[in-house]
Amino acid sequence: MNSSAATVAPRRLVVTLSRIAAAVLGGYVFVWGLVALSISGLAAFGMDYDQAWMLAMLLAFLVYLVVFIWAFAARRLGLVWLVLLCGGAAMTMGAQLLVSD
Amino acid sequence: MMLLLAFFLSFVGLALLALAMERHWRQLRATRPLTSTAARSLRFAGSVALASSLALCLSVDHASMASLVWVMTLAVSAFVLAMLLAWRPGWLAPLISWSR
Amino acid sequence: MYQTFRQSMTWLHTWFGLVLGFVLIVVFFFGALSVFDREIDRWAQPATRFAPQPMPSFDHLLRPVFERITEPDPDAVELARSMVDGPLPEKYPVMDWSAYTTHRDPVLDTYVSFDVPNARNPDDHVHGHQTIDPRTGAQLSASDLKIGSEFFYPLHYSLHLEWMELGYWIVGFAALSMLAALVSGVVIHRKIFRELFTFRPQKQRQRVTLDLHNLTGVVALPFHFFFAFTGLVIFAGIYFPVSETQLRPLVEAHEQAEAAATGLPHDPAGVAAPLASVDAMVSDARRRWASRGMGGDVGFLFVNHVGDANGYVSIYRAGTDRIALTGQGIHYQASTGALIREDPPETAIASVNEFLTGLHLQHFRHWLLRFLYLFGGLAGCVCIATGFLFFVEKRKQQHARDGVAGARIVDALAIATITGTLIAALSMLVANRLLPEHLADRDEWQRNVFWMTWLASGVHAFWRSGFTQEGGAAPAWREQTLLVAVLAVAAPILNWLTTGDHLLATLETRYWPVAGIDLFLLATGVTASLIAHRLRRPALAHAHLATMKP
Repeated sequence: MNSSAATVAPRRLVVTLSRIAAAVLGGYVFVWGLVALSISGLAAFGMDYDQAWMLAMLLAFLVYLVVFIWAFAARRLGLVWLVLLCGGAAMTMGAQLLVSD
Repeated sequence: MMLLLAFFLSFVGLALLALAMERHWRQLRATRPLTSTAARSLRFAGSVALASSLALCLSVDHASMASLVWVMTLAVSAFVLAMLLAWRPGWLAPLISWSR
Repeated sequence: MYQTFRQSMTWLHTWFGLVLGFVLIVVFFFGALSVFDREIDRWAQPATRFAPQPMPSFDHLLRPVFERITEPDPDAVELARSMVDGPLPEKYPVMDWSAYTTHRDPVLDTYVSFDVPNARNPDDHVHGHQTIDPRTGAQLSASDLKIGSEFFYPLHYSLHLEWMELGYWIVGFAALSMLAALVSGVVIHRKIFRELFTFRPQKQRQRVTLDLHNLTGVVALPFHFFFAFTGLVIFAGIYFPVSETQLRPLVEAHEQAEAAATGLPHDPAGVAAPLASVDAMVSDARRRWASRGMGGDVGFLFVNHVGDANGYVSIYRAGTDRIALTGQGIHYQASTGALIREDPPETAIASVNEFLTGLHLQHFRHWLLRFLYLFGGLAGCVCIATGFLFFVEKRKQQHARDGVAGARIVDALAIATITGTLIAALSMLVANRLLPEHLADRDEWQRNVFWMTWLASGVHAFWRSGFTQEGGAAPAWREQTLLVAVLAVAAPILNWLTTGDHLLATLETRYWPVAGIDLFLLATGVTASLIAHRLRRPALAHAHLATMKP
């Protein structure tokens, strides 16, 4: 890998680190929200907690894999951050509302 | 024993499917081309062998275990097959002895 | 990097595969060894080399054992220190008793869980345990290390890094990366079906390495995917602890409702009560299973709320003939022996979950499948190892020209995690035979041998990989392979000399746990010798260099 201008290499590093952070951390926030919302949502609809938990955990890692790949494949990194963080936060808050009832 | 037979059928099934591929056919029959009829027959025979292997696995064990056993016999068979095709392709000749 | 999907997947596969590969190969290798963890235990603990035993009589044998365990283990007391906000409690009240056995266990593990009175989290508890000979109730010494089930096995899922469960997180992240590497690998393969059976050993080294990497990755692709995935599902509670945090209120409500619905009290009553005959409960449970067409042995026995009026005994069937670990639980009132509940058949979701966790944890009796699992695990190791080798081969000429150490570092790390890991594991087995029988802390000595030899291998790998920096082959490969061969042959010889159980004897009596391990060790020794012999061509490596185009 030959580096061109001195300003390009640091920028590429930042973008790369941002992709990794989006995939790992953004992905984690998104999946947490999904798990919390799924379990509390299913429980609110009458499903047994343990059943809902098992189902959510089975789906959790498949979803994590998908968003992980997407974080690297997506053209617009900003969109990835937006969807994962805001989506994750929204779902987590939704779960919180359901729990508070 | 049933499972050994199932293992054998997994291997034979995959070998037939491999020989239905141009590059592996040519390893055994350098001069004769692979006709589409031959390829189809090989693929059919191979599929039947694999299905029989699965049936044998299911006859021995609980369905949950049998499926795992079958999938893993495919993995080992595929690996062994690759080694044979690399070093001793001639050993697979009996499988296509019907083609002259 | 991000021009096309293929390019981004190539980047992902290369860098995540490389960095997490060093963790993954360790996880896969010790995971593969863990298929035969109890057999390795038999090799390491000659006193336990007898046939597997069923769950013994509770009333006559197990109850006295449980009543002997009045305090948590020393390292559990250390754990309690982090659970309380003040001085450690004087006494730890006993909560539950449990015993677990499988069709491969000659010895039995008994556990007692203790409440931690001043704990911040009222649910926290610690354990005391004993391993006993189920024929006599005699206790096995704690310093008699079970190298398989207590060292190699936990190493594979936690790297023995217990602090803040860091090891579990690292392994979990590695597993997720593995899933990503499998998906990205399939994307970048291009000819996955056409080259399904392709291996061309006569071609250039880079091509051969890549062929083998693809082959071992693809033929066992379902295995690799499912093991990484189910590993994550098994520890899901650690990775997404929603039940302990955000959803705690739901859990508490659920536990109370469930206790009311099932008749199994969640908390003790605080009133003392005797324990009726558990053996009678076990007979009843076995009769009930048999009448449902599921005759079997007891796998797991649990006495909840010991000595309390709310106490109940849960008896679970060993999942020997199916994928699920244990099941068909039947629960009895502890003070009277009256039946409280027979667990109903599993729901669809629970069945799927049990299938997935069961296929990973393998407590079933199916020797062919176990050996097939071993193949899968070793195929995974070869896939990761060839990945490293391909990375180095592809870059070492360029790095040599640019004066960059990258390829050398990767090569050294590869040596440390491939041959180095083998050296550490084998050294531990050798030490197990050489250390004096009644040495205090014998278990600690064995663990130290493992870590020290691994560290030494790593240092050696870095020291003796200079050639890679110049674009050649590191001598460390051959040197460590030779050491592997020596250790692998020494171990069964030492087994013979120190226990008298030499290979011919164990084969004759068909004591497969020890015979099998000895055979594997010898096979490893022979294979390593052959490889070391083939690596004996440094001159050729340099000549190869001279013919490379600049």
